[in-house]
Amino acid sequence: MTPTYYLLLAALLFCIGAVGVLIRRNAVVVFMCIELMLNSVNLTLITFARIEGGLEGQVMAFFVMVVAAAEVVVGLAIIMAIFRARRSASVDDTNLLKY
Amino acid sequence: MTATSWLLVALPALGALVLLLGGRRTNAWGHLLGCATVLAAFVYGLVLFFSTTGKAAGERVADVNLFSWIPVDALQVDFGLRIDPLSVTFVLLITGVGSVIHIYSIGYMEHDDDRRKFFAYLNLFVAAMLVLVLGNSFVTLYLGWEGVGLASYLLIGFWQDRPSAATAAKKAFLMNRVGDVGLALAIFLMWKYVGSTQYSEVFAGVGEIPTGAVLAIGLLLLLGACGKSGQFPLQAWLPDAMEGPTPVSALIHAATMVTAGVYLVARANPIYNETATGQLVVTLVGVVTLLIGAIIGCAYDDIKKVLAYSTVSQIGYMMLAVGLGPIGYALGIMHLLTHGFFKAGLFLGAGSVMHGMNDEVDIRKFGGLWRKMPITAVTFGLGYLALIGFPFLSGFYSKDAIIEAAFGKPGWQGWVFGGAAMLGAGLTAFYMTRLFLLTFFGKPRWKDIKSSDGREFHPHESPAVMTVPMILLAFGSIGAGFFLYSGDRLVTWLAPSLGELAHAEQTAIDPGLVPPLTVGLSALGALLAWLLVARKETPVERPERVSAVVRAARNDLYGNALNETLIARPGTWLARALVYVDNKGVDGLVNGLAATLGGSSGRLRRLQTGFVRSYALSMLGGSILVLAALLMVRFA
Amino acid sequence: MLTSSVLTSGLLAQQGQPPGQGGAPEIDYLAILPIIIIFGAAAVGVLLEAVLPKHQRWSVQVGLSILAIVGAGLAFAYYVSDAPTEGITTIAGALSIDQPALFLWGTLLALGFGSILLIADRSVEPGGAFVAEAAIRPGTVQDRAQAQTTGMQTEVFPLALFALGGMMTFCAANDLLTMFIALEVLSLPLYLLCGLARRRRLLSQEAAVKYFLLGAFASAFFLYGLALLYGYAGSVKLADIATAAAGTDRSDALLFGGLGLLVVGLLFKGSVGPFHTWTPDVYQGAPTPVTAFMAACTKVAAFGGMLRVLTVAFESTSWEWRGVLWGVAIVSMVIGAILGLTQTDVKRMIAYSSIAHAGFLLIGTIALTDQGVSATMFYLLAYGFTTLAAFGVVSLVRDSSGEATHLSQWAGLAKRSPLIAAVFTFLLLALTGIPLTSGFVGKFVVFSAAIEDGMAPLVVIALVASAVAAFFYLRVIVLMYFSEPAEDGPTVSVPGTFTTAAITLGVAVTVLLGVLPTVVLDWATAGGGFAS
Repeated sequence: MTPTYYLLLAALLFCIGAVGVLIRRNAVVVFMCIELMLNSVNLTLITFARIEGGLEGQVMAFFVMVVAAAEVVVGLAIIMAIFRARRSASVDDTNLLKY
Repeated sequence: MTATSWLLVALPALGALVLLLGGRRTNAWGHLLGCATVLAAFVYGLVLFFSTTGKAAGERVADVNLFSWIPVDALQVDFGLRIDPLSVTFVLLITGVGSVIHIYSIGYMEHDDDRRKFFAYLNLFVAAMLVLVLGNSFVTLYLGWEGVGLASYLLIGFWQDRPSAATAAKKAFLMNRVGDVGLALAIFLMWKYVGSTQYSEVFAGVGEIPTGAVLAIGLLLLLGACGKSGQFPLQAWLPDAMEGPTPVSALIHAATMVTAGVYLVARANPIYNETATGQLVVTLVGVVTLLIGAIIGCAYDDIKKVLAYSTVSQIGYMMLAVGLGPIGYALGIMHLLTHGFFKAGLFLGAGSVMHGMNDEVDIRKFGGLWRKMPITAVTFGLGYLALIGFPFLSGFYSKDAIIEAAFGKPGWQGWVFGGAAMLGAGLTAFYMTRLFLLTFFGKPRWKDIKSSDGREFHPHESPAVMTVPMILLAFGSIGAGFFLYSGDRLVTWLAPSLGELAHAEQTAIDPGLVPPLTVGLSALGALLAWLLVARKETPVERPERVSAVVRAARNDLYGNALNETLIARPGTWLARALVYVDNKGVDGLVNGLAATLGGSSGRLRRLQTGFVRSYALSMLGGSILVLAALLMVRFA
Repeated sequence: MLTSSVLTSGLLAQQGQPPGQGGAPEIDYLAILPIIIIFGAAAVGVLLEAVLPKHQRWSVQVGLSILAIVGAGLAFAYYVSDAPTEGITTIAGALSIDQPALFLWGTLLALGFGSILLIADRSVEPGGAFVAEAAIRPGTVQDRAQAQTTGMQTEVFPLALFALGGMMTFCAANDLLTMFIALEVLSLPLYLLCGLARRRRLLSQEAAVKYFLLGAFASAFFLYGLALLYGYAGSVKLADIATAAAGTDRSDALLFGGLGLLVVGLLFKGSVGPFHTWTPDVYQGAPTPVTAFMAACTKVAAFGGMLRVLTVAFESTSWEWRGVLWGVAIVSMVIGAILGLTQTDVKRMIAYSSIAHAGFLLIGTIALTDQGVSATMFYLLAYGFTTLAAFGVVSLVRDSSGEATHLSQWAGLAKRSPLIAAVFTFLLLALTGIPLTSGFVGKFVVFSAAIEDGMAPLVVIALVASAVAAFFYLRVIVLMYFSEPAEDGPTVSVPGTFTTAAITLGVAVTVLLGVLPTVVLDWATAGGGFAS
């Protein structure tokens, strides 16, 4: 199978993630969609590494994972705080700041 | 001598700094410091003047580089001063009239708690104005330009508790910003084409700039000049600026700052010499403004507003002159100088009248004041006569010279410009005579009424600290014109800066006819005003509607009615129409623009819904657009 | 962070080198000492949180942070005094310590110092602007109780240091992966800092969640762009991308797709329209010292990174993307200038002003000349100090419920506190770009660089936009001076040493750079540009 298919799959996943961010209301799910986008990037990186025949892309994928994990820690802390304050994790409920 | 010329700017700046930082501690002697610094600058200016006259004509232009101000790669802006006849002339005008008005203000602002702050701002203004005229690059000029704008904003809004003052200050600031955009663009264009903003290099390189760009620079500079000098179509802020204290109106909005536009055009004469179209536009702006100012001046009853429109109109004359090119630059500056004297004197006189009349400004409520304040009446009268071009007073020499030069334009232009300028002289005589007669002569109408705050009027002459400056300026109104004109004194003196004064090869009418014609027309205007104003009772309130029966009952019906229908009525209509256009049209345009921006802002901000998901959508939309655009540029 | 970048670079270096020549990369410790100090102090700060008793933490943390920044400043000054003009790359090319990087480091350290002062202030509000116990639910009894205590979540200091270190790394990052990690290291602490306000905690938390979700969204774009560029060039080093762009058989779709996505991530951080949507909300909701920190420092980092990426990696393709960024700059200026007109909250208004300024900065950024680079860097420095001081002033105007940020509450402020009103007026004039303030010089140098590079129409739009924006600055001035103060209007707190110092610093720099910009401009223009 040509590696191009993986690139297309990754692009598709990226788009699904992006659309998910737009249409889902639950903050945790929105966040998961962002994670999906990051993972699609990982897939892209690894595919390119395969095409290149080197390790660089794979190493970078590890870094992305580490960063994503750090982001989860911070993100869940913030989402938890807002959930405890409002008893709701819907991103549509947080709209006091506007105009 | 020239090496220490930075002291000129530093003195008033230091005064402003001490007064602003010193706070209340300086209340007791602040006004004295303010006057002293400006007087010192004046003395220094005189020394500078004599040291410059001592040099040969060819060596009178000196550039003094002080320090490197904005250096970025190829862009080098030095902070430097140019000492040449033109700038020295302005220095003398600014510090001279400035000193006189500073002294006057001691009396005028005596009862104001913030007198110290007032002097600080005045000093700030003088310093900024000196930077404007002394700078040797367009960027330094811009620095002073914004500085005087800021000082003018602070001083117009000096009486903060009046909402009208706040509005006027804001309007002045914003309309000036419009002009400033033009000036800034012109500077950027010079930098692009010449690679420098220093006068010396720009003027030397002006020949290599493409024609279109020279025209663009000329027009953009003109836009800046229009904003600062209250020229059409940006004139509306100047009359509103009269909300400030009267000394401010005299110094900033009559004698000095508003003439900065004229200075700019004169200073940039090598640029305008390259573009005939640019000159024509300057001339047209001047002509339109001088007529508009004169006509609107006929319609107002507010003593300061009339003087303000008169200023607009007189600056129109100066613009007209500098637009004429080498035959007019020096004449424009000459009128600027004489106007500086007599208009400052007129404003100080108006201030003196207001001082004695509980700050009343409506000329319908004055009348017969010459008995109560004779010195004011005489000095004001001299200023008035100078303004309308009474033979052998200041205005007579400077204005006639401009009218004469305007007739020197070839073809239709000579007729139109010269004719318009002459007509303007007649109108000026009309509204100024009306103003003068209503204020100082006739029945004392103020006896039976009270001022708006319920006090009775007790007009009295102002203290010496105010009258002496008025007397000084009155001498200027009498003699400045003859002094500058005789033996082409000013023209020769300015030649190193502005080039030799050229003379028109042929004029539309015989130059010898211009003075008598102008004087005649002015006399006619004054006579009309006298007929209309002095010979009948002036109502204290502006008559709203006068019925035919009432009019018929009035005596002397015949002559007056004829006057009214033939001359006064159309004139009134025209004036009212112009006031309307001025208020609705120009202001309306500004307000409409503001409303459009505000409205679209109000609607657009609704897009900031507060929903994270819609923000994400706008980001995604933006990204898709950026991507699509990039790929289209590459592949399409 | 440092270890990670060392590790990456080591691995990347090994990748790039022929077998047999591997081994540990050379590290110029002296050059990166400022970063090491900042990150080291941040790590120590986290440890101290664990071991120190509560009442000692504030003083120790403040001392440590200030010491760290001053120490980093000294190390930085020592290195600069003897730095090679053409710059160096170190850690196997992961960081490029060249003249622009050094200039931006200096800017960041100075601005970071001012921000730490604002963050540390406890005199304006007892206990400071930060919550005593972030875990307590807003609106409960405990929450009301904690608002009265003088405690403070002192983790804000190490968090701010981490963010500052991230920003410094970001400006010097010479490959996209280091850049991405620096981006996250600077962003994650900021997300948290936004949510830690003592008062109006719901707003603060909302700001945090919005900033976090949108920020993560934007970094996903950045990362995807990175991946595509990796596919295009076979490397994420900026220099390699530049080489590849000059001649490769890969599809240009990868190059421009990657560039577009990458730039979106950077524009987001720089709050350039239309990627600005988070800015007003987050600026308004976050604690004011944090807003000041974000507005001043994040902008420096974002535009510093953008300058480097565009100049080093994409200069040869500038013909293709320049037009697109023109459009973006116009959108940003228009949005900032127009939407600012009707804002009623002073923090939101400054946020829109920052969006307009981002547009001006972008103009300088895409000029891609030496003059453009130095002009943009000067503008960043000038704008940073002005906006820092402006937010410092905002934090002083308070009523019983905390900061009084609604504009109606600022009416007649000049009568209550002439000094504060005068200072704020001056700062607003600097934002307008009046001569003798740093704002004027900044605009002037940026716009002349743009004109020089043939972007006259853009400059016209920028001047018009700044004329429109002058209107809303002026509105505040008019409000402060010409309106009658409300009966129960806010009072102006007497600022403590820290806030006074920060505001004084900002105002002094704004004046100094307006009158004598030579000192800084000389430095900004000296040296040999980017090293890669």
